[in-house]
Amino acid sequence: MTRHCVRRRLLVLALFPALALLAPVLARNRPADAPLAHQLLTPVPFDPDATDLAARLRPPDGTHLLGTDDLGRDVLSRLLHGARVSVLVGLAAAALAFAAGTLLGAAAGTLGPGVDRAVLVLTGVVQAFPALVLVAAGAALVPPSRFTAALLIALTAWPEAARLVRAEALRLAASPYVEAAWAAGASPGRVVLRHVLPGAVAPALATLPYVVGGAVLLEASLSFLGLGVPPPTASWGRALADARESLTSAWWCVVPPAAALFLLVLAARKAGEALTESR
Amino acid sequence: MTRFLARRALGAVGTLFGVLVAVFLLLSAAPGDPARLAAGGLPGRRPASEEALRAFRAVHGLDRPVAARLGAWLGSAARLDLGRSFRDGRKVTERIGETLPATLSVNGVALLLAALAGVPLGIAAARRPGGRADRFSGLLLDALYSLPSFALGLLLLLLFAVKLRWVPVFADPSAGPAGLALPALTLALVALAPIARVVRESVRTALRSPSAIAGRARGESPREETLRALRRSVPAFAGLLASLVPQLVAGSVLVERVFAVPGTGQLLADSVFARDLPTVLGLTLASGVAVVLATLLADALAALADPRLVDVEEG
Repeated sequence: MTRHCVRRRLLVLALFPALALLAPVLARNRPADAPLAHQLLTPVPFDPDATDLAARLRPPDGTHLLGTDDLGRDVLSRLLHGARVSVLVGLAAAALAFAAGTLLGAAAGTLGPGVDRAVLVLTGVVQAFPALVLVAAGAALVPPSRFTAALLIALTAWPEAARLVRAEALRLAASPYVEAAWAAGASPGRVVLRHVLPGAVAPALATLPYVVGGAVLLEASLSFLGLGVPPPTASWGRALADARESLTSAWWCVVPPAAALFLLVLAARKAGEALTESR
Repeated sequence: MTRFLARRALGAVGTLFGVLVAVFLLLSAAPGDPARLAAGGLPGRRPASEEALRAFRAVHGLDRPVAARLGAWLGSAARLDLGRSFRDGRKVTERIGETLPATLSVNGVALLLAALAGVPLGIAAARRPGGRADRFSGLLLDALYSLPSFALGLLLLLLFAVKLRWVPVFADPSAGPAGLALPALTLALVALAPIARVVRESVRTALRSPSAIAGRARGESPREETLRALRRSVPAFAGLLASLVPQLVAGSVLVERVFAVPGTGQLLADSVFARDLPTVLGLTLASGVAVVLATLLADALAALADPRLVDVEEG
């Protein structure tokens, strides 16, 4: 896998958060969110939450490019704004999981068998649950929001990064320069963060796109079950759950969010593949 | 061998204990008063009287200190007693037992279908790396890994139930095979990707090993060669089975929602929605136990098939 190819695949993946961030410019905003932006002249002139019962379940045409859903909301506008939940929650969860996983992994590899065993038991317990079940159980306990969704997903996604970093850290911890750092009187925190972590993080970093893909899938699953960010906020998983109700009459409600999720996860997989193979 | 298995079993018991404690911590970390939540927390319901709340706490043992509750929870969970549902007061195990047949039959059919399609596909891809079968399976796996199970289920519904009208839109276990065909097909496609991938990788590695090369030099037929490669891949298949369990559990939750299958996955989603904590945590515990036991079983199978694995660990 060439450098060029890696860069191209990462760029494709980066298109999705860019789209999510640009959603308020591309499609009209909810007036409550941004009173000024609401006035903007946007390419998609429909508010994602504005219901129009006179225009329910319209097939795609010149006005509604991707049609309308069962409440007469514009599918394209909800797709663009839904990216703000689906993509950004997925990215935030992956970042949190990566931070927690690398820290725990580096500590486990560096600070001796006691810490190591504790981290291993913790990863074993977390990995014993199907991630979706654990996240759903968490959703029964705390009221859903973007923040709690990201946190719950991160809680199940960190063990993989921890495992990879731990293996590298175990190797580095035995190296002379780390020994020198201990001898020079560095604190455990300093040894882990300054001396071991930077050298041990690369394998976990290469798999980060996979983690993003997994987190996006998990968020979409949670939203699909109705346990994610509460309505009326648009998200791709919820769009699919809503589309199920009007399945027999409106295929255009199913295909766009399904395609968006598919392309995002595929882009993440391909970027992860390129990164891990180029190492 | 016995020592290896005993140590693995001991490790599994440790993890199981951790799983039990984790689920209990979830149970007691629930913000707010479970009694209030269950008895009157839902909007539109009349708030419960103090007396009713006290009675509810006494029934569910919520009036005792945390340590006592942990002990009682571990004791009753060990006796397969998961408490009573906040929703209808029936035993959680009873409610799980009712939904299990539908879920198990869908999963059984799905696993069978996935193995029937995935194993030959993996073998074909491994026999000629870069060949037509290999490229096709590569594309298929990318697609299957990237499409969420529930989106796949909805698209299949759109095709087979709405467009072609071959099957009903909602799953119906009483309607015989047609009623559960689509949920099983969806789950089969979910399981197909990891099966084909693991078969391809392990068979490919086995075909490149010195023993396979020696066999080829002796003039073994491709059939014999493949059979030998498959036999050498048994440890990998055991690991695969263990890793399929959590995937199928999560897949069932989503796919049952798509097709309205009255199964265990639906029970979990409904219970989360209704904040029925005993049922949610009973199901969480059951899935954790299933994963741990499947992993233990896979370890045992792998060790039986390839005694070298035991030597490496004890060596």
